[in-house]
Amino acid sequence: MLEIKNLTKVYDDGTVALDNVSFTVQDGEFLVIIGLSGSGKSTLLRCINRLIEPTSGQIILDGVDITAASPAELRRIRRDIGMIFQHFNLVKRSTVMRNVLAGRLGYVNPWLSLLGIFPKEDKERAWKALELVGIAEKAYNRADALSGGQQQRVGIARALMQEPKLLLADEPVSALDPATSHSVLKYIELINRERGVTVMCSLHFLSLARTYATRIIALKDGKMMFDGLPEEIDDQRFKEIYGEEAVRVEVN
Amino acid sequence: MAQPNHNAPDSADRLGGNPLAAAGLSLVVPGSGQYLLGQTTRGLAILAGIGLSIGSILWQNMPTLFVFVAFAWLWNVWDAYSLARKATRSYLPPLFALLMVIYTVGWNITQIEPQKLAQQANRAAPIAHGMLAPDFVERESEFRKERGPFEVHCSDNPPPPTTTLKSGGTITLSATCGEVGDPLHVRAEGLWPNVETEIWWANPIGQEQRVVTPEGQQLIVTTDDTGSFEVDIEVPLAVPLSHDTGEPQLHAVQINQTRIIGGWKISDNGWLVITKMAETIAIALVATTFAVFFAVPLSFVAARNLMSGNPVTVAVYYVTRTLLNIVRSIESLIIAIVFVVWVGLGPFAGVMALTVHSIAALGKLYSEQVESIDFGPIEAVRSTGANWWQTVVYAVLPQVFPPFLAFTIYRWDINVRMSTILGFVGGGGIGFLIVQWQRLSQWEAIGAAFWSIMIIVAVLDYVSAKARERLI
Amino acid sequence: MDNQPWKKSPSPWKYGRSALLAVVIIAAYIYSFRVTELDLPRLVTDFPKAVPILQDFLTPDVLARGEQTESYVINYPVPCGSGQEAEIPDSGPRIVPSVPCSDPKTTITVEGFDLRPDTKVQLRWLLPDGRRLRSARATTDGNGHFNVEVEIRPIVAAKEGNISQLEAELQWESTGLMPSEALKITFAKIVETVFMALMATTFACLVAFPVGFLGARNIMGTGPVGTVVYYIARTIFNLMRSIEALVMAVMFAIWLGFGPFAGVMAMTVVTVASLSKLFSEAIESIDPGPMEAIVAAGGNRLQAIVYAVFPQVIPPFIAFAIYHWDINVRISTIIGFVGGGGIGLQLQTWINQLAYNKAGTAVWAIVIVVTILDNLSSQIRKRLV
Repeated sequence: MLEIKNLTKVYDDGTVALDNVSFTVQDGEFLVIIGLSGSGKSTLLRCINRLIEPTSGQIILDGVDITAASPAELRRIRRDIGMIFQHFNLVKRSTVMRNVLAGRLGYVNPWLSLLGIFPKEDKERAWKALELVGIAEKAYNRADALSGGQQQRVGIARALMQEPKLLLADEPVSALDPATSHSVLKYIELINRERGVTVMCSLHFLSLARTYATRIIALKDGKMMFDGLPEEIDDQRFKEIYGEEAVRVEVN
Repeated sequence: MAQPNHNAPDSADRLGGNPLAAAGLSLVVPGSGQYLLGQTTRGLAILAGIGLSIGSILWQNMPTLFVFVAFAWLWNVWDAYSLARKATRSYLPPLFALLMVIYTVGWNITQIEPQKLAQQANRAAPIAHGMLAPDFVERESEFRKERGPFEVHCSDNPPPPTTTLKSGGTITLSATCGEVGDPLHVRAEGLWPNVETEIWWANPIGQEQRVVTPEGQQLIVTTDDTGSFEVDIEVPLAVPLSHDTGEPQLHAVQINQTRIIGGWKISDNGWLVITKMAETIAIALVATTFAVFFAVPLSFVAARNLMSGNPVTVAVYYVTRTLLNIVRSIESLIIAIVFVVWVGLGPFAGVMALTVHSIAALGKLYSEQVESIDFGPIEAVRSTGANWWQTVVYAVLPQVFPPFLAFTIYRWDINVRMSTILGFVGGGGIGFLIVQWQRLSQWEAIGAAFWSIMIIVAVLDYVSAKARERLI
Repeated sequence: MDNQPWKKSPSPWKYGRSALLAVVIIAAYIYSFRVTELDLPRLVTDFPKAVPILQDFLTPDVLARGEQTESYVINYPVPCGSGQEAEIPDSGPRIVPSVPCSDPKTTITVEGFDLRPDTKVQLRWLLPDGRRLRSARATTDGNGHFNVEVEIRPIVAAKEGNISQLEAELQWESTGLMPSEALKITFAKIVETVFMALMATTFACLVAFPVGFLGARNIMGTGPVGTVVYYIARTIFNLMRSIEALVMAVMFAIWLGFGPFAGVMAMTVVTVASLSKLFSEAIESIDPGPMEAIVAAGGNRLQAIVYAVFPQVIPPFIAFAIYHWDINVRISTIIGFVGGGGIGLQLQTWINQLAYNKAGTAVWAIVIVVTILDNLSSQIRKRLV
């Protein structure tokens, strides 16, 4: 269970990215965060694993206060939280295999890992993860030789290597075309359903959010605008979240 | 003079669109009209172009060229006038006029005389011949040198007319003693058959000189099928007159024969080229390697994105960048001069010079790579719980290592070219041979050096291009 | 696992190849370290040898105090009666001999009045045949007065109406700083250097522009003649490109004599090869669409080149040309070392004379000019491409 209490983030330039946000995520949820660009979705997700340091507030994962963790504790906590990125964040010149194994860095012997040595189980685990996302045959290709959708599947495999309890996905499909978007989200849904991994995913399109989410949170200018079931978002709410001039775009 | 005119569409127009004022200004100071009409670049370009042209004409004292400047000046007045009336004129005519000035002055300064290319073609002929007939390989051959004794100033007991040679054959002289200038008939038998044979003369202390024809050419005879020949010569002057005491002196007629006995082999100069070429490549390799050790740490210091944190690091960044730029602009040949004084003549001086220049060149290229690092993967690896070292090894190094390696190979390639000329100032490598052979006019040997540089550098160029393609 | 072929590790051949490569590289390094006679301790032990050069490089000979002179000349017949004696004024700056004329081997006293105070004075004989003979030296006191003994030497008497004269020259350093002689020479030579690069690049462009087409696959077509021409052109480009301009200059200096022209020709030859190669690659990477369109509209190959290829290749061509000008400026700074003219020749002369601070002037001039042109050319190229 993840609890977020009065989370606020103010950047050095004075931008208030998150303004007193509080909510709780139950285990096994597929939580989708929606909102316009700059509404604070990325900041929220990055505060949870402290890639961005929150200004105030608390984040408690299974009773452990992440915001108070020491650097060593933070690394231990981070390996329980997988993350998927909008631009995949793969090392383009490394092989797919190496990128996926990087997901295991929080577990393995740090010194051996610097030499590129991983335990055999981890390699087996990497093959399984790659097979799960359907790109095992690309294991020894360079990451930049893959298409966008394939690269994001490598990103998912990397996150799977952490055997996470919580998976953060920061706009995982906004750099992909609609068809590929669905295939990537289906893999995330699979992980959520079959492995019981809690998912927190930010998305641009409401239609995608409705298809996959078990619960939706909407942010606007760093404030929580909505917290509820996908069906509860009607035209009125939509306008509140996206602004008066917005038109619904369906992505199928 | 010009009131701001708020109705003018161009806010930078400070002449209120008055064509005559603009033309007048440009007449006094070229480009000023254009400048004040808001065409700042055009104005400055006109001023700079006309100013530079006048300066170079005065310096080179070529007043006829003022015609072109006058043309450009008048065009500039007309242009200012037209601009004020919102018409744009093509800048090509004055550009050509000023280019005429620049190129005529340049032609003069650089002393270009194309007719020399033809007039002095005779000087180029041996060079061209050397290039086409490089002295790299030669036929394997054997050599024999035989002598028949002859006394200048007869003694009581002159040598016998026929000398039997140890390796077979005989040399028979018509006389075995006499004075300088006496005719002498030489007959030889049993030498190597059908071989061009050079006739030489050896003096009492063994110094050899060519026997020449009346035209001044080396006397060469060809032996017949049985290895015999006959030839008439004159007894040459082979001892300085001051040493000629009138006492009998034992000279000798000498016969030099060279015959080809087998296949091709690398000539002495060929071996020199090979060893020096290997040295050239070695200099480049060692210098590039040394440079990498210094350039890698420097590149991080010279990367803006890593150093923009606080004023101290920003200052370090600028100092490093400036130093790199200064050193980079000095050719390694000039640096080599310093090192030749410092550590003495030889390849080591060349290595150090190339190292210094390469540190600067590589430092700049590397730092540009560091500046273009993608922070996404760093974020991703940190989010898995990796520590600092793991992040560097898994997210930073894989991004910079391939381009670093590619640039290093590229630099090695350039350094091989550079080290071919380091020898010109005593820095080792094949350049040393080239200048030496230039002084001796040994163009066949230079030809060998020339071709080996061309082929080896072209091959390395190709290989390094392929390697780099695979890396990036 | 066996039915998943992609899981197999890379083939043993790949490992063998890597091992072989490693052995070759190690051997190359061992050979290289031996043959280059590395003696790193000397860098430290012999550092004192480099200190004077580096010091002089850091204090280049840029400015000099100008020397000002002022001279006073009077007639002084030797021997007496060989010409008109000087008329000495009573006031103002003047020099006064103790006797108005004298015979050789006598000694006279020369005094000066109301001259520049505290200044060195050099006395000279201006002989009737135009020669100048140094005599005594003196220094004026605070009142501008000096007094010195001068020995009259046997000198040529009056010739063609000229008689011998006595000159007193006052010499002092002017307060203003003037550009030194080295700076003036450096300026002239650096301009020559820049122009050498300009001329070489221009000549090379004129040749490379047409020749570049011969090395472009898409222009030469796939016919037998085109293929042969293409390969010959590319081979020549690649071979000629590998020769440093300095090596070329060794030959041109003999052909055309030492001087900038030899340097220009050497750089031209190398630049033609390099520029042609870059240019033919640029032609190969053009968009074939417009060419197709012209051919489709019934145009022939030449028309297609002029209307579809030229507009696409001119900007990169200019960019390459400017880039090579930049390179050639660097090269022309050193081409003088082998007789190619420019600042290199002057630099070498100064270095041979051990005039390192003058050499420093040249080096700094090179740094400044190369840096400026480097920035300028990259700015222009950024705009073009």
